[in-house]
Amino acid sequence: MAKNSVKEIQTTCCYCGTGCQLLFTVDQAANKILDVHPVWGRTNEGTACLKGWYGWDYLNDPQILTKRLREPMIRKNGRKSPLEVVSWDEAIKFVADNFKRIKEKWGPDSFLGAASARGPGNEAGYITQKFTRAVMGTNNIDHCARICHAASVAGSRQTIGEGAMSLSIPEIEDAEVIFNIGYNAAASHPIVARRIVKAKEKGAFIICADPRITETARISDLHLQLKGGSNVALVNSLANVIISEDLIDHEFVKAHTKGFDEFWEVVKEYTPEYAATITGLSAEDIRFTARKYASSKHSVILWGMGITQFSQGVETVKCCCSLAMLTGNFGRPSCGTGPVRGQNNVQGTCDMGDLPDVYPGYQSVTDPEIQAKFEKAWGVKLSNKAGIQLTRVPEFVIHEKDPAKRIHAYYITGEDPAQSDPDLEEIRETLDQVDFVVVQDIFWNKTAEHADAILPATAWGEHDGCYTSSDRGFQRIRKVLEGQGNILPDWEITCRIATAMGYPMHYNNTEEIWNEMIDLCPKFTGATYEKMERQGSVQWPCWDKGPGDKGTMFLHKDGRFATPDGIGILKTSPYHPPTEVENKEFPLALCTVREVGHYSVRTMTGNCRMLRNLEDEPGWVEMSPEDCAELGLREGEIVKVLSKRGSVYTRCKPTERVKPGAVYMTYQWWIGACNELTISSLDPSSRTPEYKYCAARVEKIKDQAWAKQEVAHIYEDIRSRMHIVKEEVLA
Amino acid sequence: MNSFIKANPIRCIGCRTCLISCVVAHEGKRIFEIDPDGYNFNPRLFMVKTARVSAPVHCRHCENPACKASCTSGAIFVKDNVVLVDTKKCIGCKNCVIACPFGAVEIVETAEVQNDGSPRKIANKCDLCVGVADSPSCVKVCPTEALALVTDGDLSQSVADKRRNAAAAAAV
Ligand code: SF4
Ligand code: SF4
Repeated sequence: MAKNSVKEIQTTCCYCGTGCQLLFTVDQAANKILDVHPVWGRTNEGTACLKGWYGWDYLNDPQILTKRLREPMIRKNGRKSPLEVVSWDEAIKFVADNFKRIKEKWGPDSFLGAASARGPGNEAGYITQKFTRAVMGTNNIDHCARICHAASVAGSRQTIGEGAMSLSIPEIEDAEVIFNIGYNAAASHPIVARRIVKAKEKGAFIICADPRITETARISDLHLQLKGGSNVALVNSLANVIISEDLIDHEFVKAHTKGFDEFWEVVKEYTPEYAATITGLSAEDIRFTARKYASSKHSVILWGMGITQFSQGVETVKCCCSLAMLTGNFGRPSCGTGPVRGQNNVQGTCDMGDLPDVYPGYQSVTDPEIQAKFEKAWGVKLSNKAGIQLTRVPEFVIHEKDPAKRIHAYYITGEDPAQSDPDLEEIRETLDQVDFVVVQDIFWNKTAEHADAILPATAWGEHDGCYTSSDRGFQRIRKVLEGQGNILPDWEITCRIATAMGYPMHYNNTEEIWNEMIDLCPKFTGATYEKMERQGSVQWPCWDKGPGDKGTMFLHKDGRFATPDGIGILKTSPYHPPTEVENKEFPLALCTVREVGHYSVRTMTGNCRMLRNLEDEPGWVEMSPEDCAELGLREGEIVKVLSKRGSVYTRCKPTERVKPGAVYMTYQWWIGACNELTISSLDPSSRTPEYKYCAARVEKIKDQAWAKQEVAHIYEDIRSRMHIVKEEVLA
Repeated sequence: MNSFIKANPIRCIGCRTCLISCVVAHEGKRIFEIDPDGYNFNPRLFMVKTARVSAPVHCRHCENPACKASCTSGAIFVKDNVVLVDTKKCIGCKNCVIACPFGAVEIVETAEVQNDGSPRKIANKCDLCVGVADSPSCVKVCPTEALALVTDGDLSQSVADKRRNAAAAAAV
């Protein structure tokens, strides 16, 4: 091995929104990773979790769960005809012709683009929305934030004007009070969990509201083990106590907020006694929480999908923002609101305008001045009509009777709705009925089975760019390996389709794309590649390119909110129960959760040897020991879980961390795919599905030998559908 | 005194990075390249989660090891303050598994195949990464610094501190 071919390359982890810094030692001549370890970064301080340390060997295509896509493929002879390997030129022409045909026949709004919040990075995200807006002529562009944190974006924007974390990850450890609601940091962001542990050691008071005993609940000073789906009742009652016991920061509320009277109108009904009947908590614990939270100017609210994935997600978020405003907990270090984004680049994909209502930098598509700015920059006429959200695709395909109003083309980059969206049966039907589906990805996935064209892209580690961490930090990602096979970076594929459709898009590298973007987005203008290189991380807003503007650690300084007039709006709504509650036939409440070693739809982590060994198919359903005893279930036994929408097999895990009547499943298993069971009811304003609550039933399977075989069959069937040939693996 | 690894359950977040690091340290980096089904995943520490506790359990490296006393083949020995298993001598009799009061030993399949075609099974337990990594690998990777290698000096220091606190409290 030539010595000088060994290089060290630093990049940002591709899994969660913490954005840990990893250093790869690579033999470039052999195109091989020799070593990986975490190094110092603003958010991770030299640490990483199991995914950062051991979650990269999927790049070598070990073909454990599925196989890398290596060649462009199309169905030349229409739907159901076999996929055929073709040249890039042919694939691009095929896709461009079909998009053009559909646009001409059904109009621009018959197209919907799904951007990727994962590996491709911010530059590819910018290109995807530019393609959708400038080439297809519609604002029908969205991404998976819709199914996780869209409620945070919507709820925060309606109150404090900005959807991102107001504080940054390192600030968590200096909080005095942490109110952690519906957020399981240990499973979603271990390196954020580390900050919570540190805060505890530094003396912070931790209150954890969660129906399960999570790791944070376990170390908390007070665990509010509330009934699933009762979040709004809890936060409303906290506001009720803060107001009725006069724990308000009057000066702050007077100077920086409005809407107090309307707010009080709603929350005045939510006395702790009344909220206790809904949440199952004691009125005393509710009072104590409110007093404790209001007692400090360094109170932090952290939340995750445990509040957003409800049909009242936006309402809960609005009230959390209001709690922080009522107590003056904004505009200083270590206070404020922390909706901690899940995947590595969910924040970035929002930043890049892969949302139906905003251009990059959160600039409204309905604002004529903004529209004119982008029209001038991109040289085309743009639509001023907000687009539709991706969770509404089924509505606009199978439920829309008028063909003129339907979605006819779906361009999916780096996402797998056939695994990640609720009610999979409905999604499969939807994908089969869309006239033209393009899947652009790195692995065969469940959505690829429904695609008319497959465009193979480079993975994280095979291209350059940048991500935004959950606390608004732009950080570089760098090419570590040369991608194998006939694959291209996402942004290049999309640019080629645009060019083939008569709108030339050409860039030499990601920095050119980035520079175009920052010049169009005042909030990001200062975050040049050079500054990212120098500082490691640049938190937006960063207005000025000069070295003086280093970015912004926390938002809303001096109580000036990001709303048009700088004033925050106190808001909340009355509580209503989840859409589908337990009943005689389905007596358990099913909630979807995360598994620490696996991410998203598992195409990446499922193909990492170590992560696969730690946890594998068919996954687990967590149940209370009481419920297990009633059904006669033992740990590890294969069970059938059913809802109105379908059924799956998984293994039973009795745990005292779960209350009787509630069951929990992680959504990334392919056999134990809990989204076969989840309901597609949506939050009315953010359109986030209610993943966290539906009615289910668990059935014992007497013949375990049969069940094991059945699971093994299903697994082999999935693997062969994902083009894994057993002999090939052994060879 | 023998050294041992101590877990702090307030810091542990149950992520099991330590378990993987143990396998990687003992199998070597080649593990990321070989046939995904061509090795055994046998961490030498065990994750325990109850309603109140999350923490991995390791071998305590006892001063008078019950496992060693019970070992029928003389496979368990103490060297340089570490209780070790001589894998060549181990016959998989399970006495050590029964004897260990912490559940820190288990019998695992190795990649070695016996005459009858079945995999050879032996005792597996924490060896403080002697001969495989500079510091115990689990201690190095743990993201929350929940694990610490406790040596003779550390223990006497902590005991001295506790005694001082106790004396101070008694003086009040
Ligand atoms: S997954 Fe998240 S916490 Fe783990 S190493 Fe990657 S960025 Fe860090
Ligand atoms: S790595 Fe650390 S935090 Fe994670 S399970 Fe092991 S001891 Fe606990």
